[in-house]
Amino acid sequence: MATKYILAGTSQHKIWKYGTWGLFILLVILVAFAYVDTGFIEIGGNKYNISMIRLSKAVAFAVAILGLQCVVGFTGQVALGQSFFVGSGAYLTAWLVADHQWPYLLTLVVVIPACFLIGMILGLPALRIKGLYLALVTLGMAAVFPSIVKLDSLSDKTGGSGGKSTAESKLEAPDWAASIFDGIAGALQQIPFFGQYFGEGDLSSREADRMWKFLIFSIVAAICFWLVNNLVKSRPGRAMRAIRDNETGAAVSGVDLAMTKTLAFGVSSALGGVAGTLYVMEVGIASPDDFTQLLAINLIVGLVVGGVGTLSGAVVGGLVVVLIPDWAASTESAAFVPQRWLQGPTGGFLLGLMLIILTFVLPGGIVAGFRKLRARFVQVVPRPPDGSVPAAFAAATAGATTAGEAMLSSESDDELVHSGPSDGGSTDE
Amino acid sequence: MDLFLQRLFDGLANGSAYALIAVALVLIFKATTLINFAQGELAMLGAFISLQLWYWGVPMWGAVVLAMLITAVLAAGVERTLIRPFDPKDHLPLVIITLGLFLLINALAGIIWRFDPRQYPELFPSGNALNIGSRGLSWYAVFTIGLTVLVIFLLTVLLNKSKVGLAFRSVSSNLESSELVGIKVGSTLQFGWALAAAVGTLGACVYVSNPLLSLEPSVMLRVLIFASSAAALGGLDSIWGALVGGLAIGFVQSLLVQYLDFIPTEMSLAAAVVVLLIILLFKPAGLFGTASVERV
Repeated sequence: MATKYILAGTSQHKIWKYGTWGLFILLVILVAFAYVDTGFIEIGGNKYNISMIRLSKAVAFAVAILGLQCVVGFTGQVALGQSFFVGSGAYLTAWLVADHQWPYLLTLVVVIPACFLIGMILGLPALRIKGLYLALVTLGMAAVFPSIVKLDSLSDKTGGSGGKSTAESKLEAPDWAASIFDGIAGALQQIPFFGQYFGEGDLSSREADRMWKFLIFSIVAAICFWLVNNLVKSRPGRAMRAIRDNETGAAVSGVDLAMTKTLAFGVSSALGGVAGTLYVMEVGIASPDDFTQLLAINLIVGLVVGGVGTLSGAVVGGLVVVLIPDWAASTESAAFVPQRWLQGPTGGFLLGLMLIILTFVLPGGIVAGFRKLRARFVQVVPRPPDGSVPAAFAAATAGATTAGEAMLSSESDDELVHSGPSDGGSTDE
Repeated sequence: MDLFLQRLFDGLANGSAYALIAVALVLIFKATTLINFAQGELAMLGAFISLQLWYWGVPMWGAVVLAMLITAVLAAGVERTLIRPFDPKDHLPLVIITLGLFLLINALAGIIWRFDPRQYPELFPSGNALNIGSRGLSWYAVFTIGLTVLVIFLLTVLLNKSKVGLAFRSVSSNLESSELVGIKVGSTLQFGWALAAAVGTLGACVYVSNPLLSLEPSVMLRVLIFASSAAALGGLDSIWGALVGGLAIGFVQSLLVQYLDFIPTEMSLAAAVVVLLIILLFKPAGLFGTASVERV
């Protein structure tokens, strides 16, 4: 199939951009309604449960990984301690909800500024400590978090080693939302042939609650992604990327290193805090063993596997980090693998393996692979500043069909679109 | 006073076990300016291998030496296949690879040996070498320190007197120049990784042979933080510094945390991280390390 070229800024480009987004949202809605009643799929004799709970968790982790993108992906600081901030957000939420009867979403008003501040303060050492040393210190911080919340002096607020439960205040779908959900479910059930996959009749109240939670999560996450997208394209965002690409060069060009770095750390940990809030909303408890060094490393896995320095990579990363361990845990029999092996921490094994293999094969993560694949079919050609039509685009659309010319033009397009291996243009999705 | 002595002795024993792991970190850092986040897990794997060999009937010390050899070969293989393809100056991919190894080895040990703690046989005679009042200095502490000093002494001799050691020092001081004068940089670094893995395994075996501890896949998570603080305190490129740093961290853990009332007992790990942070902020080269000069 011949590559299709789209000129940036044209209505065709808009249709393409919003069309792909629309398709994505449609897909999410379909998956949500198809699996809201914890539907099972069966592969090779194993039952897999793609429940909403997992999808909601994946959304929470995606926001945490989005925070990592700001610091590691865009600013290039090797900070590994994201679990610290996710934990802080989770505990703040749990404390406010359980002890002060705040509604869940209102806690964000406290969580975001608090985590932003903690992140800025803990990011201060990063002005002096660089590279591997920073990795070491932040990993140490992540390791310390569980022992901080287990402290005796804090245990009346954090619940000690048992964790802080918020199960008493449930998040229930309001009636109007439930009836909308029922309406959508009913409509989906009317589709010929496929209707059977969307259950029967109205949603039960538990299903409506799950759907409601997932909806809230998605909206919060979408706002986070939208804000970060704007940040990255703005002046501070460009400063962040300049620091990543060449710190000295950025400083010489007038980037305020201290300001930009602490800002990046603050934003990153604020997002970590939001992720923590979402996490507590889903699981109903903040417990110290959920926010260990292993979570910090898992979030890094999500970052790298999804794609460092891309926003869509955070979504992919969240899904990978949540679904792969669950998938491994619910696989009970597989060909050529002794059963004993499947009962252990196979998920961690797979994540580690993925991390290493992807670093070799696809350093840009899954998103880069997907983009490479997409570029074979559709390429967006940026319009030069003077408004003329680029030569390559003209040649391609005029039907330059000889093999040599087609190759030439597609190569020059590549250069136009991907101005570097990890360019900021990657955020335009 | 009694309690003070006991804590001093405990600090000594733990500290020298940390020092052994810290030496392993230092060896790799010296050669490659890389901190191997998987070092603790590799050492844990070595300890499990030695235990497995012991189950199969190999005498305990023989099992430890065999496990050291096995992990050395493993680490050499890891260096060759996973580390060498990457540019040593670009940190992110290398951090990611070692973190991947961390997850991989941790999960592998959990899959093979499960998560229940196992009693590790004592490597040293039990009982006390010295009794003062009701408190005593255990043979474990005495032998651990003796062994640590011996290992560090042997490493110093190896690095300073042998041809391999000369190559190793040359590579660690200037990689490009060593390559130009005909040193095989790759195999020298491989040697560094193997040596570090062997020392790390010894450290882990000694650490878990403490009668108070047992072996489980997560035993090294904390130790890695202690050991890296120790290595940073001593100066990341100084082997003797690792010993001093290890002992200092051991004492911080057992004395400072016990006696300063405002630091709760569970915070020994946090204390180590704070020490690490302070050192990196104010004396990045550590106590005995050489300060690096950046040139444009």
